[in-house]
Amino acid sequence: MLAFSTQTLTCKNLQEYLRSLPKDTLDRLYRHPATCLAVFRELPELSRQFILRLLFVTKPISQVLLATWIPQHEPGRDLGDIASEHRQGTQVLLDMYIWQEVKDHQGNMAIKLNNTFRENLKVAVLGGGKPWTMSAALDPDPHQRDIEFLDKYAMDRWESVLQFLVQPGQGQTAISRDAMLTLLHAGLIESSDESDNMQITSSGFQFLLLDTASQVWFFILKYLETVTERGLSLVSCLTFLFKLSFSTLGKDYSMEGMDNELLTFLQHLREFGLVYLRKRISGRFYPTRLALNITAGQNKGTIDAHKHGYLVIETNYRIYAYTVSELQIALLSIFSDIEGRFPNMVVASISRSSVRRALLKGIGAEQITSFLRQHCHPQMFKNSPVVPRTVADQIKLWELERERLEFSEGVLYKDFMSVHDFSLLSNFASSKGVLIYSDEKQRTMVVTKKGHPAIKLFWKEAQTK
Amino acid sequence: MGKKHKLHEKGKKRRREDGYSDEEENLELEGVPQASTQNVEEDGDKTTPKDQYGAFDYRSQMELRDDHETRPLWIATNGHIFLESFSPVYKHAKDFLITIAEPVCRPEHVHEYKLTAYSLYAAVSVGLQTHDIIEYLKRLCKTSLPPGICQFIQSCTLSYGKVKLVLKKNRYYVESDFPDVIQKLIKNPTIQECMLSPNEGIVSTEKQKSQAIVFTSHQAQMAGGSEDSKTDGKTEGDASNGNVKEDGGVVPEDITDFYDKIDKADEEEEEDKNLKTLSFEVNQDRIEMLQKTCIGLDYPLLAEYDFKNDTVNEDIKIDLKPSAVLRPYQEKSLRKMFGNGRARSGIIVLPCGAGKSLVGVTACCTVNKKALVLCNSGVSVEQWKQQFKMWSTATDDMICRFTSDAKDKPFNAGILVTTYAMISHSQKRAYEAEQTMNWLKDQEWGIMVLDEVHTIPAKMFRRVLTIVQSHCKLGLTATLVREDDKIADLNFLIGPKLYEANWLELQKEGFIAKVQCAEVWCPMTPEFYREYLMGKVSDQKIKLLCAMNPNKFRTCEFLIKYHENRNDKIIVFIDEVFALSHYAKTIQRPFICGKTGQKERMAIIQNFKLNPKVNTIFFSRVADTSFDIPEANVLIEISSQGGSRRQEAQRLGRILRAKKGPVAELYNAFFYALLSQDTREMGYSRKRQSFLINQGYAYRVITPTQLLGMTEQQLHYTTREEKVQLLEQILAASEADMYEEGISNERGASGSHRRMGNMGSMSGADDSIYGERRKGSKKDHQHFLFKKFRS
Repeated sequence: MLAFSTQTLTCKNLQEYLRSLPKDTLDRLYRHPATCLAVFRELPELSRQFILRLLFVTKPISQVLLATWIPQHEPGRDLGDIASEHRQGTQVLLDMYIWQEVKDHQGNMAIKLNNTFRENLKVAVLGGGKPWTMSAALDPDPHQRDIEFLDKYAMDRWESVLQFLVQPGQGQTAISRDAMLTLLHAGLIESSDESDNMQITSSGFQFLLLDTASQVWFFILKYLETVTERGLSLVSCLTFLFKLSFSTLGKDYSMEGMDNELLTFLQHLREFGLVYLRKRISGRFYPTRLALNITAGQNKGTIDAHKHGYLVIETNYRIYAYTVSELQIALLSIFSDIEGRFPNMVVASISRSSVRRALLKGIGAEQITSFLRQHCHPQMFKNSPVVPRTVADQIKLWELERERLEFSEGVLYKDFMSVHDFSLLSNFASSKGVLIYSDEKQRTMVVTKKGHPAIKLFWKEAQTK
Repeated sequence: MGKKHKLHEKGKKRRREDGYSDEEENLELEGVPQASTQNVEEDGDKTTPKDQYGAFDYRSQMELRDDHETRPLWIATNGHIFLESFSPVYKHAKDFLITIAEPVCRPEHVHEYKLTAYSLYAAVSVGLQTHDIIEYLKRLCKTSLPPGICQFIQSCTLSYGKVKLVLKKNRYYVESDFPDVIQKLIKNPTIQECMLSPNEGIVSTEKQKSQAIVFTSHQAQMAGGSEDSKTDGKTEGDASNGNVKEDGGVVPEDITDFYDKIDKADEEEEEDKNLKTLSFEVNQDRIEMLQKTCIGLDYPLLAEYDFKNDTVNEDIKIDLKPSAVLRPYQEKSLRKMFGNGRARSGIIVLPCGAGKSLVGVTACCTVNKKALVLCNSGVSVEQWKQQFKMWSTATDDMICRFTSDAKDKPFNAGILVTTYAMISHSQKRAYEAEQTMNWLKDQEWGIMVLDEVHTIPAKMFRRVLTIVQSHCKLGLTATLVREDDKIADLNFLIGPKLYEANWLELQKEGFIAKVQCAEVWCPMTPEFYREYLMGKVSDQKIKLLCAMNPNKFRTCEFLIKYHENRNDKIIVFIDEVFALSHYAKTIQRPFICGKTGQKERMAIIQNFKLNPKVNTIFFSRVADTSFDIPEANVLIEISSQGGSRRQEAQRLGRILRAKKGPVAELYNAFFYALLSQDTREMGYSRKRQSFLINQGYAYRVITPTQLLGMTEQQLHYTTREEKVQLLEQILAASEADMYEEGISNERGASGSHRRMGNMGSMSGADDSIYGERRKGSKKDHQHFLFKKFRS
């Protein structure tokens, strides 16, 4: 029964996250052009159109006029689709307080663009104002780092976080207390007892199977939830993240003008591999690929794209993994049986029992297949679908297999004195349509909870007769 | 990898339970050399450490080579080999591996092979040398060779293939290229007894220049076509080698060099001019003793037949027709057989429908001596005759059929086609049959073709061998698997496996149909499932319940209607005769079962082939093997024999013959296995499919809800009443109704007590695992009075 209560891990995207923030936090966020631009580019197309049209309009615009901006007829599209797209497009803007609803002088509903947002987006689009990207006016770094180095550094850092998740017992020193607290807060690990012994939770397993971009974003979201407890300001952290997402890979940025709060934040980011600092006092940092596009929900793949897929999945449920990474093998072992290990390759196979093992941990079939899909060996891309259909279907079926029982609550009647009593009651119950189960030999029957009072009443009356 | 073990153990266990004494087992092992009992798999597994996941950790046993990316394979300490099919050197490695190892599974990307004593025996028998095998493996491997592998190869190959038993001008010679080996042999007193003239000692001759054999008709040869085609073949090979070098530039040179060498090793032995062949002549009567002694000495004799120099046996003067063109894989398999200008005995494994008969016919034409073809049913005897007429110049009077139904006069025939059962029949025969048998025993057959060689158990095969004398034996099969793991014996009874084709590759090249395999899960109706779970009915009834599950019936009916509308030809397999006739009668389509007479069978099949109104036939398991129905492209399997991998593959074979018509479609044949959900059928299906899955086939799972339009169709058993009625019919069916084609629990021996008329339709003794037998046909005619008199 425990297995049924596990939850699926939900990872909000940037939009959903922002929509959940209170109004004044958002208002403060919109004070920075970088945030405005980042928010803007993540909006649906229709919403972006609305914003651009209103960017230079200061007067409120009536809803009626707005409605005319939407194409009424489009060949090959359902009217309902258009309407719902419209609804979504406007709702996002309202939820994020980019739009404000006001009443115009005639008392009709009208729409106005949030002033702060408007001004700062203008700066972002047209230029002017204070420089909003991080300044790069630095002397050349004597310890210049190239992109390759940064990628390796970032992945090493990030994998140490994942490694910790896989084997929380071992190598606790690998990650800092801050990272561990975040994992705890996110519910990815839990301490089984009072001691420091950590165990991975079902969410943790699901987290492991996500692609790297989603992992980083989920992790950062959870981290942001705790920043205020650490005495940091959410707005400044977010703003810094947005600025970071506009930076260039392989370029160094100055730490000048950062207050203590931000420096602490930077240290944390360094910890997770989002930025690289050679030394605290070097006064410069390099953003890594993990930090770039962190807010860009649509361009996920970019982090993983340069990584080589390493899984060859066969229709006979074999997996050949071209890897030496202990982490990747550990991930694989979550839902498959490792059979043999060669110096640069691992032979594993998926079986009903291995998949069930994963399912019991709360991992879904979809998560397994999407993990397989993400890490497919380049050779696999010759086929479509990439993961053999039989394998994907079978994993799905193994999941469905566990959901074949239906539960219905009921009340048990048993120990009838005579067959007559039993048949009297069971006939009555089935005539009312509340009988779930009846067995004449055992003289037991089960009726629905709803039907119970009526049956009870009937039985009492029958007894008194 | 562990799975294989379990299977093996299970097999052993079952044999014990069946009352097979160890003595008998030893008897079966007789005639099998010592070295073959080695098991690298077990040894390897014992010495390999395990990691934290319980996996075999080979990392400490091998070192990754620097240029590992250009090399295509890994070898595990237990003899398993993993080959990347996308490696640029794949082509080189594949040909080599198929010669030295057993394919375990060959899906799309990474193939798995296994080194066994038998596979290595096969490798040396086609001319590979120990050091070549090890050297080439070293070059292909991404890592250094793990310990034990080299020793294993050496111990299995050093003594194999060194001595040959050659029949030249009707005199038997023992031949060897290795002086030390032959010296050792003649020092043995028993062998000395076998020698024809011990005083003469060993004769040393210059090695004969072997001539490459060409498999085309002589007419074509005269037209100058064949020489070209041969050289074409060569240049093609060279060209493709060149290509590899060009496009990749990554193929390590040592691999390509060596590949060329291996490729030609067989045909161009004469390069070493100094090589001498040593031989001594032996007494023909003592051949058997000689063979046994040699096996005892661990130098098994390879039988080779120098048919070109055999002047004693007349040529039968048949030839391939010019229209008979061999496909590349057919030619390759034959080249393994006739590699050095002589005929070797062995087994060729080709998928059903890939043209095994043509290989057989070509082999017969090449040897061009008296040929004996053995198959396992009357129908396939007819089909072999047709094949001979279609591909070769053999005429009606040259081909003699010897079955219970057709007994042609054999006396001037060059080719005799018969069944295993006819030959091994040990009871009294009709006069005519007796005559033919005597004739058959007197003949010195040039070649013996054994069709569906996997079906014959060792015992029966030994009997056949004692009756028939032949110079070389060619086994043909599609599925070299047996549930009882007795395949290995065939290696020494017939010869090594010469060639095994890759199903997936043949499919890609269009030589066999592209099949979409699907299993359809049909939920049991509540009434049927209750009966199933109660378990109060006999095992036969349980089978019937699964087979006649109304949901299954409806699915089957729907599929038939759907595919008939597409103009497909459909065959349906049902094992239980009761269910078979019920299905066929309800849906109103013809059916063939064991009882159906030969003539009626032929008539139904002819109609199916030619009559556009007959598009569906129901079959019992009589049609599992060697029923050639090339038109069929849809197969529906309602019920099956437990977890038999072979039956599944053989059935699939019925629709594998390459299809004409549009190639544009992704699939041109369909295989549906209907399973009653939540019954034991589900468990069996896993096992049944394992062979095909290892060949790279993929099964899709379909539930009836996914079959679009099923609810709109007019189908049977829609209402509950109908379903309950059906259930009652099943429960009321008498045991006799169902047993007709049940599995007998006795061992094969009893099979030969039946009337001759039955033998033709028998699918060959098959031990008790999977066979067809009619029950009680005699009893029907017996009056109780006679019984009294008899006793």
